[in-house]
Amino acid sequence: MRNRLAGIFWSILFLAVPVLGVGVFAIAPSIDVWLPKDVSSHGKEIDSLFYFILALTGIVFIVTEMLLFWFIWKYDAAARGDEKATYIHGSHTLEVIWTIIPAVTMLFLAIYQMNAWADMKMRRPVMKPTVEVVARQFEWRLRYPGPDGDLGTPDDLFLVNDLHVPVDEDILIQLKSMDVLHSFFLPNLRMKQDAVPGMKIPVWFKATETGQYDLVCAELCGWGHYKMKGRITIESREDYDAWLEAKYREQEATQPEPMDEIL
Amino acid sequence: MSTSAFAAGSDFADGGHHDHSHGDDHGGDHHGHLKLQYQPGLPLTKGKLIMWLFLSTEIMFFAALLGSYVVLRFGALQWPKPHHVHLSEPIGAFNTFVLICSSVTVVLALEAAKVNKSSLAKTWMMITLALGSLFLGVKAYEYQAKFSHGIYPVKPMGLVYEKPDLYYASAVRARLSDPVVLEEIAALDAKSETEMNAEEIAGRKSLAEVKRLVNDPAQEAFDIAVVADQIMPLPADMGSHGGSHGLNDTFSWLQLPIVIPGGNMWASTYFLLTGFHAVHVIVGLIVFAILLTYNLGPATAGMIENAGLYWHFVDLVWIFLFPLLYLF
Amino acid sequence: MSTVTHSSPGESTTVAPASAAKPRPVSEFLSTYVFSKDHKVIGLQFLFSTLVWFLIGGLLALAVRWQVAWPWSDVPVLGKLFAQEGGQMSPEFYTMLFTMHATVMIFLVIIPILAGAFGNFLIPLMIGADDMAFPTLNMLSYWFMWPAFIAFGASFFVEGGAASSGWTSYPPLTTNPAASPGSGMGQTLWLIGLTFVGVSSMLGSVNYMTTIILMRAPGMTMFRLPMTIWAMFITALLQAFALPVLTAAGFMQLFDRSIGTGFFSPEGSMINNELTGAGGGQPLLWQHLFWFYSHPAVYIMILPAMGMVSDIMTCFARKPLFGYRPMVYSIAGIAGLGFIVWGHHMFISGMNPALGMTFMVSTMMIALPSAVKTFNWLGTLWGGRIQFTTAMLFSVSFVSMFIIGGLSGIFMAATPVDIFIHDTYFIVAHFHYVLFAGTAMGVWGAIYFWFPKMFGRTMNEFWGKVHFFLTFIFLNGTFFTMHILGAVGFPRRLADAYHYETFHHLQPMNAFMTYCAIGMVACQAIFAANFFWSMFYGPKAGRNPWNSNGLEWTAPSPPGHGNFDVQPIVYRGPYEYSVPGCEKDHLMQTDPPVEGMVVAAH
Ligand code: HEA
Ligand code: HEA
Ligand code: CUA
Ligand SMILES: [Cu+2]
Repeated sequence: MRNRLAGIFWSILFLAVPVLGVGVFAIAPSIDVWLPKDVSSHGKEIDSLFYFILALTGIVFIVTEMLLFWFIWKYDAAARGDEKATYIHGSHTLEVIWTIIPAVTMLFLAIYQMNAWADMKMRRPVMKPTVEVVARQFEWRLRYPGPDGDLGTPDDLFLVNDLHVPVDEDILIQLKSMDVLHSFFLPNLRMKQDAVPGMKIPVWFKATETGQYDLVCAELCGWGHYKMKGRITIESREDYDAWLEAKYREQEATQPEPMDEIL
Repeated sequence: MSTSAFAAGSDFADGGHHDHSHGDDHGGDHHGHLKLQYQPGLPLTKGKLIMWLFLSTEIMFFAALLGSYVVLRFGALQWPKPHHVHLSEPIGAFNTFVLICSSVTVVLALEAAKVNKSSLAKTWMMITLALGSLFLGVKAYEYQAKFSHGIYPVKPMGLVYEKPDLYYASAVRARLSDPVVLEEIAALDAKSETEMNAEEIAGRKSLAEVKRLVNDPAQEAFDIAVVADQIMPLPADMGSHGGSHGLNDTFSWLQLPIVIPGGNMWASTYFLLTGFHAVHVIVGLIVFAILLTYNLGPATAGMIENAGLYWHFVDLVWIFLFPLLYLF
Repeated sequence: MSTVTHSSPGESTTVAPASAAKPRPVSEFLSTYVFSKDHKVIGLQFLFSTLVWFLIGGLLALAVRWQVAWPWSDVPVLGKLFAQEGGQMSPEFYTMLFTMHATVMIFLVIIPILAGAFGNFLIPLMIGADDMAFPTLNMLSYWFMWPAFIAFGASFFVEGGAASSGWTSYPPLTTNPAASPGSGMGQTLWLIGLTFVGVSSMLGSVNYMTTIILMRAPGMTMFRLPMTIWAMFITALLQAFALPVLTAAGFMQLFDRSIGTGFFSPEGSMINNELTGAGGGQPLLWQHLFWFYSHPAVYIMILPAMGMVSDIMTCFARKPLFGYRPMVYSIAGIAGLGFIVWGHHMFISGMNPALGMTFMVSTMMIALPSAVKTFNWLGTLWGGRIQFTTAMLFSVSFVSMFIIGGLSGIFMAATPVDIFIHDTYFIVAHFHYVLFAGTAMGVWGAIYFWFPKMFGRTMNEFWGKVHFFLTFIFLNGTFFTMHILGAVGFPRRLADAYHYETFHHLQPMNAFMTYCAIGMVACQAIFAANFFWSMFYGPKAGRNPWNSNGLEWTAPSPPGHGNFDVQPIVYRGPYEYSVPGCEKDHLMQTDPPVEGMVVAAH
């Protein structure tokens, strides 16, 4: 009987895995350790896909872990008396079933998400870039096209780490890097894209709410990687225009040297 | 089923274990423990199998290098034509021929060894060694041709610039104000025309022109392409067979920076690929040299065969490299 | 180790008790224990070396955890050892820490402990051979690890410190010493070390394959091989085909750094406003080459553990493996698919997004063979007579934890979700579940299981279970929480993330994880004590302490030189437990067939 207790003890330890595992995910949102607030139009798709996969894998997780628990609970040698283990080498039918079901599930998942991916990374809006972001150790250099709407003209506006975009409009960012790899990460806009030196990569999104959020560098870029911090301010069109206007005047007043050659 | 369970036993009864149970590098170190019998899964000796496996790792190694070459080449904005970089197809073709011949001779050596004609085998082996060395010699000559034109994969020694821009202009200016060059130029200017041939006379004129253009701040960005063309004209197409002749060729001491669009990446990949291939050739030659110290009879046929397999592989790699580097 | 070439009294008949009586000269000592060509000694050499590095890797992990939980506070104990200014670490030191933590764990612990230690020790024993096909080569494969040990070890002490660009070493950060302090000598040593690990693995893998193909005992057909051997075989294949690519890439990076080629530096790239040397290359090329190796490598780091777990589990469930052939095919399937999914590490790297789509589909497909494996393990437990030995607990937990690690892989395989969770702690959770909670747990299971064969004595079961229990609790405490940190977007590789508003509130959670990590490392003292104590004073084990079926259990414990004292002849597969009509509950592979008893012949 002592032995049986050991079996019970270990079975329950393995039962704790699905119980606590699900528990952690259940409490997480309530202690605010969960997906940060989403303020983008495409973020819903990412989040719902996340929840969908969470549900799917959650079911698989619970079922497999419960079976594991159940089997070691039930088939403990101490609980089986003199009975021998079942002598069986496998089952063709079962193998086929548990290959086909995941295959169908995975294929469904693969196809289901293609459209979302294409929207976020392949179907770029036809427009001039709203702003050019140039990453460098360890800051985000921003370049707004200025009144003429074209980048690379003398009326461009230069800023560092302070990204502003208008709300409810398509934003197209042209992402570059001057030195090493960086990654342009806006947690609240569910957007991330590596900046690669020698490449111009388009990034687009539409913000749905005004506010101020973090801009994080998510690719290791050297010792200062942790402090390569920017801010994104999402504001109404009027505020945005006013802000651009003010910054523009500020720049004219201080006359910084143009950075054209370097960029 | 239980009774037929040992059916496999017949495999080993007529089995290869007679030849195989002695490891190729085994012999010495088992003192009298039980000799085990095995059931070999393939009709190959250990040595040959491991050679094939080793060669497959080598294939992946070169596949990675060749893959990188293709990616870099087709991702590059410009890529020099073979003549821009003094690459000569006939020499390359000749080397290909040499290597193929050596692959044949090593087979002949093996055949001779198998029928116990060891001196004949030795002769063929010697010829293989000679052909391999010839290949390396030609390769060295080709490398020399690159180096003498300042084409290195490396910055400090290399004279190659990608485009005739500001950086290039200042590099030319720097070289022209180098004391050694100044001295040579002074000596050149001091010569009278009777002492020189027509080429040198023309060269002196264009050198003066280059100096003027480079040192004229107003125009440099505009005319620097002309300068580059004087120093090392790039043949416009594949047709002109290395006929280009620039200032650097006329005055070998001059060594002005040259412009070859895409030249640096070309040099990087060229030396990477041919360099690793050459290392493999050298290893092959060492193996052949070691083999020559043996009596090349049937007993060593296995070793010759493995060395031959390796050599065919080295040959094969070159067969890929030649068209990729010289012809496309 | 001292008992390796001796055999326990009364067990061995043909192996003379060597020269136990007369004192042996130094040269013999060297050739027996140091430059031995005996696969068992080489296996143990790998085992000891990797355990030492495991400890080092674990301590580096603790330093990482310390900084993540309490940034810029003095590091206790360890701080005095390696941090500079008064025990407080600098940000560049932090990058160095996790880079070397991962490098050590992957290249000096997990890969060599699986293939080097267990591969070496088990392959000849389990297939009925007296040694590897090429013992000298085998010895070299161990000794080629030493330049790597030295290079990685020395890199901590060179100017600028060890490599600090992540274990992935993405250029241009790595190719330009001006970009990062660790990208100087440290990075060069890193590349050199990697090359030696590569040579070592290459020598080992071709040898393993040759041995398995040509040196199986009579009757040991391919489909009678234990899963461990199948896994080792396919792992060797993966090594042989994937690793040369990394070696080639490593050379290219080395040339970029040392002689100034520009394979991985783009045109006109600058560091600190200065133009870097040659250009015209492509930073993404490195990532392709690196992951072409390193994705198959993650399977190199789990397949052998899967094989060993299958053997341990059948033994303690006293039941044939459920679906032997499907298990073999799924290992092959994982390996095959493993070659075409590398792009899933590069979804947002700037690679063509259409390519991302194809990689997404192939990645999803890897769930299939993994599903087959998982369900077959469950099938093996079903209807068994389960004995809760330490080894069994570790293998059951391998399955339980691999499910978690595998399922989190599905989130990342979904490209749109990966946009958000890439380079967050979700990834860190994923790979610690497969690597630590999976493979390392499997390795512990294997140590407890084969320890009697290695040293002729069994490890203490009670303390083994205490070790298991604590490790299991603490590892889940440390790594499970990482999933929800990842859901917040908490980025990896950040020395201090709390100055971001989004992540500011996560510090207490990180502190909790660090406490668990400290517990996890601390409880390894129990393991170390048990290990060394049992080596010398553990209860003597017979040839077959677990009543298992494989050939290795017919040899003496520990086996003498040449392994077997009778020619093994194989009549059946390795999983014939609880055969009806057979009085023992296990039928060894070498037990001659009994008339009238029906046994599957595979
Ligand atoms: C042993 C190591 C190991 C293993 C086995 C795996 C297994 C898998 N990995 Fe993992 N991975 C790593 C080690 C490993 N990985 C490492 C080290 C990294 C990070 C590297 C770095 O950046 O530093 C990484 C990163 C990584 C990424 C990149 C993330 C990013 O950087 O953005 C991705 C993306 O797709 C991924 C996916 C997968 C998948 C799909 C599997 C699959 O093989 C898992 C399959 C298993 C299961 C699915 C569970 C069992 C199946 C069932 C119970 C059946 C039913 C299931 C379904 C129907 C869903 N991994
Ligand atoms: C096999 C691989 C492996 C293993 C085992 C571990 C183990 C651990 N890792 Fe590891 N980790 C990685 C691979 C691994 N890690 C990788 C690839 C990265 C990514 C790096 C990068 O971004 O480039 C990473 C990154 C990483 C990070 C993220 C850093 C960051 O991004 O900022 C963290 C943070 O918590 C962490 C923590 C830990 C902890 C607490 C453990 C603990 O589990 C450690 C526990 C250690 C022990 C338990 C030691 C036991 C000792 C013995 C058993 C010896 C006994 C001795 C004798 C008998 C002689 N790791
Ligand atoms: Cu920029 Cu990290
Ligand atoms: Cu992967």
